[in-house]
Amino acid sequence: MESATASAGPAPRKGFLTWDFISKYGLIALLVAFPAYYAITDLLAGDGLTRIAENLVAGVSNGSIWALVAIGYTLVYGIIELINFAHGDVFMIGSFVAFGLYGTFGLTLATGTLGLAVGLLAILLICMLTTGVLNVMIERVAYRPLRGAPKLAPLITAVGMSFILQNVGILWVGGSQKGIPDLIDAQKQLIDIAGVTISRADVLAVAVTIPLVFLLTAFINGSRLGKAMRATAQDPEAARLMGINVDTTISLTFLLGGLLAGAAGLIYALYQTQIWFFQGFTAGLIAFTAAVMGGIGNLRGAVLGGIIIGCIQQISDNRIGNEWTPAVVFSYLVLIMVFRPGGLIGEETREAG
Amino acid sequence: MGCLFGVFALTVAACGSDDKDSSGGGGGGATVSGDTLTIYSSLPLQGTSKEQSEAVIAGEKLALKQAGGKAGKFKIKYVSLDDSTAQNPGTADEGQTAQNARKTVQDKSTIFYLGEFNSGGTKVSLPILNKAGIPQISPSNTAVGLTTDEAGADPGEPTKYYPAKTRTYARVVPKDTIQGAAIATTMKEDGCKSVHLFNDKTTYGAGLARNIEAAAKSQGIKVEGNDGTDKNAPNYRSQASAIKADCFVGSGVTGENYVQVFKDVGAAQPDIKLYGPDGVAEEAFTNPKKGGIPANLAPRTKITVATLGLEEFKKRGNAKAEKFFTDYEKAYGQKQPDPYAIYGYETMALALDSLKAVGDKANDRAAVVKQLVGNTKGRSSVLGTYDIDENGDTTLTDYGLYTIQDGLPSFEKVIKAQPAN
Repeated sequence: MESATASAGPAPRKGFLTWDFISKYGLIALLVAFPAYYAITDLLAGDGLTRIAENLVAGVSNGSIWALVAIGYTLVYGIIELINFAHGDVFMIGSFVAFGLYGTFGLTLATGTLGLAVGLLAILLICMLTTGVLNVMIERVAYRPLRGAPKLAPLITAVGMSFILQNVGILWVGGSQKGIPDLIDAQKQLIDIAGVTISRADVLAVAVTIPLVFLLTAFINGSRLGKAMRATAQDPEAARLMGINVDTTISLTFLLGGLLAGAAGLIYALYQTQIWFFQGFTAGLIAFTAAVMGGIGNLRGAVLGGIIIGCIQQISDNRIGNEWTPAVVFSYLVLIMVFRPGGLIGEETREAG
Repeated sequence: MGCLFGVFALTVAACGSDDKDSSGGGGGGATVSGDTLTIYSSLPLQGTSKEQSEAVIAGEKLALKQAGGKAGKFKIKYVSLDDSTAQNPGTADEGQTAQNARKTVQDKSTIFYLGEFNSGGTKVSLPILNKAGIPQISPSNTAVGLTTDEAGADPGEPTKYYPAKTRTYARVVPKDTIQGAAIATTMKEDGCKSVHLFNDKTTYGAGLARNIEAAAKSQGIKVEGNDGTDKNAPNYRSQASAIKADCFVGSGVTGENYVQVFKDVGAAQPDIKLYGPDGVAEEAFTNPKKGGIPANLAPRTKITVATLGLEEFKKRGNAKAEKFFTDYEKAYGQKQPDPYAIYGYETMALALDSLKAVGDKANDRAAVVKQLVGNTKGRSSVLGTYDIDENGDTTLTDYGLYTIQDGLPSFEKVIKAQPAN
């Protein structure tokens, strides 16, 4: 490709250089421009930087939830190149399980801090386990039998699983958004840093997400099973020849994605104080976008994509209006894809090499 | 994600079936053969509006029972349809509503269609029923554009809903020019200097927000903003934190995620006064145990509904209303029925009286339509005395102001309001 470019003369080369420059730095400038514009506007209006800082804090905490869901998409795509459309709905089931367990553990608005902490920790573990096992079962029933089939077949079964889980959600809680008890008084101010308020929900989202992402990264990079996952992602046939049980490794990937979706489900329930059968569709769309934006198959990319989308959403909600937010987020996605088809950090898939 | 396919399938179905319906009416209506006439009711029977719809149905059934199940010499068959779906509960689903209207049109014994509950649903059913000449009465629609092109209506309204070029639709609640003025009047009385509105972008919510905006401005209240909200958004915190007004109106329905809207605005703006329209006057909104707004927001929240409390009817000496409350309690054991029960009752009573008024022609849809829209004058009813004007609107203008007590909407007083010019 390079020699072809060279032989084509200086004009295309210059074009490529310009394109390369835009894709490297232009996008970063574009991403920074959005908050920077409003920061300057605020400064010129004499309002200081408090408002934009609050937007970014809310963006990081919201984005943390998207990041946890996005990791599930990226892990599965990285290993079997399947867009697991049902993943958002697994996350929804996580929220429903969490809400169900509020009653089981007797957690109410009157429960004390210690009881709440212990109860929520137990719920977190149960939620993660439930959605992890559910995700493995989905893989076993709907995707594994189609391993050698054309790519469209598992894609359609993924859509089918999404429908099934949504209908389970409708049967379980009904079709409307359901307000649930605000156990942690989510919007109560916890810290005030130079006028920037940080709520309990913000702290919770980040405090659960960061350790989970670190644990997952350490597992994938440091453990034998993690190495098996990476080997399978690179070349499943070669991995099989090297004695790796590919089916088990793929199941493990689904388990990990499901575990994180369960955690995200609980945080979402505590953070938003409402659950809905359709929340998985919305979250799934955002999280998949985050995964693609960051670079599909790339863990760091999924986290970065999630946080960037969270920030864009919050700034747009606050400055432009909630009704325009999807258009703003997807405009960014289109721009990033056009200038950097591999995502911000770059994809890590067999196709990408 | 599967929903994408559902939307695609619905779109295909809608495209494939909107060219020709089997009405055969062509706008002139038709004469029903036989001695049984069918009255259809179409309301959301699932989700957040379920209880209101059930109250409307209870009221309709009570009126029919009191009439002996007959109108003149004709027997009346009552059929209740659900215009919501499991996937889209709490409000009229457009696909399901169209199906209901077509089913009604295909039934040659249809003489009345009572619905929809939501203005957005009527937008779908009205043109289908109008083409077939079927008279329609809504117990609850308030969107201005369904009947007039006054402020709050969209371009092309209401002409686009009447392909037969005759009016076949009436409603027993005042339109939103009145509700807009009622909310603005309440805010003025409460000392609001400025207001910020959110609307749910539906026919009802967006239209009402425009009416409130106009009424607020005419009363000297500064309008800081009128923003649409996305039902699918997980929260509205950032949007709520941008509000710079001392009063807030959430112009939407509970089913469009308006519990979350009020919850987030209430938390982000601890001192703001909160106002909601009839779209949130239901337990699913007012009762925290049923997923409604938190109890600490109740004292800051006021709601307007076009119905008045029992005490008010007593004060006015409306014997019909008093009798309704007594009969309702006897029939269903509820002393304080949902505010919409009386509207259900009046909807059916108006339909039956229209049929009786045309005597032997009660099986002639065109004659019934003419009676309903052209000749309902000085009607003495449970709601008071009113006319149905040439557009199908009631001449009643009183609105009730409700607060939240023990998780339920509780009547506080009457608001006398006139629309902004």
